[in-house]
Amino acid sequence: MKLTPNRNISNIEGDAVLPRKNGELVFHDAWERRAFALAVALCEQGHYQWDEFRDHLIAEIDAADKAKAQSPDTSFPGYYENWLASFEKVLIEKGICTLDQLPSKTTE
Amino acid sequence: MGNEHSHGSSAHSAPPNPYLEKHTTPEQTEALEKRVRTLESLLIKKGLVSAETLDKMVETYENDIGPLNGAKVVARAWVDPAYKERLLKDATPAIAELGFSGLQGEHMVVVENTPSVHNLVVCTLCSCYPWPVLGLPPAWFKEAAYRSRSVVDPRGVLHDFGLTLDESVAIKVWDSSAEIRYMVLPERPAGTEGMSEEELVALVTRDAMLGVTKAESRVA
Repeated sequence: MKLTPNRNISNIEGDAVLPRKNGELVFHDAWERRAFALAVALCEQGHYQWDEFRDHLIAEIDAADKAKAQSPDTSFPGYYENWLASFEKVLIEKGICTLDQLPSKTTE
Repeated sequence: MGNEHSHGSSAHSAPPNPYLEKHTTPEQTEALEKRVRTLESLLIKKGLVSAETLDKMVETYENDIGPLNGAKVVARAWVDPAYKERLLKDATPAIAELGFSGLQGEHMVVVENTPSVHNLVVCTLCSCYPWPVLGLPPAWFKEAAYRSRSVVDPRGVLHDFGLTLDESVAIKVWDSSAEIRYMVLPERPAGTEGMSEEELVALVTRDAMLGVTKAESRVA
């Protein structure tokens, strides 16, 4: 199977733009890679439209930015934490998982 | 660094990137690792995805976006004269033909290197950059030294990058702006006649597409 990157995904713009350095994707930890791959894989398989995921991502980033503006010194969720939260939301929304199946159910 | 110039729209420079710093503590990282691992096994158990697909997915995206987009454009132009003509005439639609878009109203212009003319791309004002084809700009592209010196002493700049051109070769410097983004079509290296388009892609570096180096017949 030859995968071709979905240009809707690799060309996300604005606040939701993928973290890159010298054009390449930046992942700090293994979980970020996996979270990226999970969200892209399920989208590619048609479980949701990219826009549906992206709208959540933009909202999460926006909320994180606002929280950061209010208290600049405290830790705020990074890009892939927002990404992960968006992924979980879209899974629930699409009925792919139920809330109590999610590992983060206790944090909300 | 940051946005030293904010003339024009936000699309003017490469997108800001506040997420490059790692900010999680080891405890948070561990909790996130666990959360993703649990999610992954849940989705694997549901038969929605396989670990192998995920690996392949990451590999594809890590290797196949960024400078490679521009490299594909160059390789196509090397093997397909009709495509090259379209590219040099009107680059934006020609680049879109290969599926690369994401420009926000800026116009792409591709300039061709020949044995007698060498092109160099700069943005003297800040760091305008054709990022949908070349990814994010390298740090030196944004530095004042490169931005100012490439205009007054392009030959010296190229020399610093290890490229010494014959005096007979004219150097053209292209100053990017909010409206126009330039990319260099490097010369196809000698001795690559038998190579496939796919093999050629690997020879095209970001630096060659900015004009600070040439494409070489072997990857360094």
